[in-house]
Amino acid sequence: MIRMENVSFHYIDSEEGVSGISLNVRNGECVVLTGPSGGGKTTIMRLLNGLAPSYYPGALTGRIFLNKTPLPQLPLYAVGQQVGSVFQDPRSQFFSSELAGEVAFACENYGLLKDEIRSRTDYAIDALSLDHLRERNLDVLSSGEKQRTAIASVYALRPNIYICDEPTSNLDYEGAEELAVILRRLKAEGCTLVIAEHRLSWLHGIADRFVYVCDGRIRWERNADEMERLSDKQRKEAGLRVVREGETAGVYKGDVLVLREVNETKSDPPAPCSPAAALRVQNLYCRKKGREIFRNISFTAYTGQITAITGRNGAGKTSLALVLSGLWRESGGQIEIGGKKRRAGQRRRQIWFSSNDTGTQFFTNSVTEELLLHSERSEERLERTRELLNDLGLYAYKDAHPTTLSGGQKQRLSIACGVLSDRKILIFDEPTSGLDGGSMNQIADVLRSEAKAGKTILVITHDQELVRCCCDYEMVVFAGQ
Amino acid sequence: MQRRNLAVLVKLWALGCTILGISLTADAVWTFVLTVTGLAYLAFQRNFRLLCSMGVFYGLLTLLLYLIQYHGLHMVVFSEFYVLMFWNLSAVFIVGFDLITTPPGELAAFLSRIHTPTPVILGLLVMFRFFPTMKAEFKSVGRSMRNRGLTAPAWLLLHPVSSCEYVLVPMLLRCLQIADQLSVSAVARGAEHPGRRGSYYEKRTSIIDWCWLFVWAAVTGLFLWIGDVRV
Repeated sequence: MIRMENVSFHYIDSEEGVSGISLNVRNGECVVLTGPSGGGKTTIMRLLNGLAPSYYPGALTGRIFLNKTPLPQLPLYAVGQQVGSVFQDPRSQFFSSELAGEVAFACENYGLLKDEIRSRTDYAIDALSLDHLRERNLDVLSSGEKQRTAIASVYALRPNIYICDEPTSNLDYEGAEELAVILRRLKAEGCTLVIAEHRLSWLHGIADRFVYVCDGRIRWERNADEMERLSDKQRKEAGLRVVREGETAGVYKGDVLVLREVNETKSDPPAPCSPAAALRVQNLYCRKKGREIFRNISFTAYTGQITAITGRNGAGKTSLALVLSGLWRESGGQIEIGGKKRRAGQRRRQIWFSSNDTGTQFFTNSVTEELLLHSERSEERLERTRELLNDLGLYAYKDAHPTTLSGGQKQRLSIACGVLSDRKILIFDEPTSGLDGGSMNQIADVLRSEAKAGKTILVITHDQELVRCCCDYEMVVFAGQ
Repeated sequence: MQRRNLAVLVKLWALGCTILGISLTADAVWTFVLTVTGLAYLAFQRNFRLLCSMGVFYGLLTLLLYLIQYHGLHMVVFSEFYVLMFWNLSAVFIVGFDLITTPPGELAAFLSRIHTPTPVILGLLVMFRFFPTMKAEFKSVGRSMRNRGLTAPAWLLLHPVSSCEYVLVPMLLRCLQIADQLSVSAVARGAEHPGRRGSYYEKRTSIIDWCWLFVWAAVTGLFLWIGDVRV
């Protein structure tokens, strides 16, 4: 059991923190912390796994108990034995390039005997259905497989409490469903789960209680039934994602939403009233290091429309975007822009690509400089930049260094850079992963307005809410096709 | 096919033997004995990827040496001295690469067995993960620069300092971020636990390992006996 009594914590090097947090998590319970980005969910998670204030220094007041023992008095390794932590991005958590080595890491640290380490590791690999990945390098696994590996590495130590910080932010729908199966199993085994999450629908049947955290405080708590009864208006006001899949999110364009398989030779989607094929792809094929990534992809994207590119993790969606935008060369097939066949170098000047990984996309010292990089500074352009910063909720950060922004703010800045790039075709890779409902709506509004202004937009996404909210067409990419 | 790694002790012994042999030999031509043993050693461990690349590398150097020696080939960029030096050191490269491509878990198990302090083992594990991660980040920075038109030749020529800054600043910041995330991941999984670390890969030195220890000692001794020792 974990109990927080009137806990306040403020980081030593910033103004961020949480205040007056009182939370009681019973044994075997699943509590979901939700709320807007930057609201304090991660700080609460860090308090629960002891990383704050031991690793992240700051001023702590109030009391936190882990099974009746004051948690701050325990060394981190003692907390780690009882509280397992699963972080947002598994890519930068791994210490080994091999599955078994990674899963065994925690057991090795605690000095368990070799036979015990082997039996726990093998059991965890088996329990999380990872056996077929033993011979593969961890770097080449899909996001879902990496996340399952991260959970297995915690599971092997057999803690009774799991702290998961946005575990699905890089997962597709099926990946999230697989994770749900694992968490159900942990819950059935009597484990306590505390999950910070924006995507809520996959937690149906697992979550017992939802805690809404905003501006560093707990605003309300609701049980699963109450949460499902939340009206659309209440949910939107709180900036929350849908609670049950199938619920409408924003404007549902049921009659124009077309599910198309790009590998099939079906006719192109119905063209709009004044069609202008901005991008035409025929029999596109890509092979890298002897491995076929995708083949036979043909589709047309029209001016003024937003097309969602969906498909499972590892299906080749990002590779397709890299080829389309000229950052990779195609191995076969052809790509036409405005009716003319274009080579990779030409495509780079006409198509913008915003990667999902925003960590390496920014080069200047301020948000404004970033947006004006490589462009003339006319009054009109400055005005447009100001407008866009306002639309995306970034105006308050216009002088901030891009690296100091939160993940969601970086994603919005990346979109702003694309919009201001003056390129007619924009491709965004997972622009709303890990974002709350409010930020997702802001992005959907900007995408709609750019499409209306004549841009052609392709959005790679797992976010069905975003697809329903603003996309005209959906293309599904299947692995190796 | 799965690799059959020899014990880390054997790999260190092989590295020591090749360094000693190449440092002491009076006749550089005989170093091929050590190189061929090194290639056989890779084949035994089923490290075929390294075997192919090192085999091609060694073959190319041999061809260049032949052309230099018998056909008066003159190298402009990569001088004759370097060709000979790399040819002589090939055996060290082979066993050295084999050692550093050993799964980090096996290296950690060996270090743990010889009572190396845990912070040193973790430092080594971080180092092994850090370089491939940073390589991926570097690629990502390059891709972002291309996407934004910052790698056009004209831009690079006119703004060389800014271009360097564009690469260095995000790389250094990512470096800090990744180091931080790895540390958090380690600390949350008991890296600070006092006492000896356990190991999944812990294994006893087998008869095959002892055989290879003997092979390397015998080959190095024979090589020095044939090629004579430089005094």
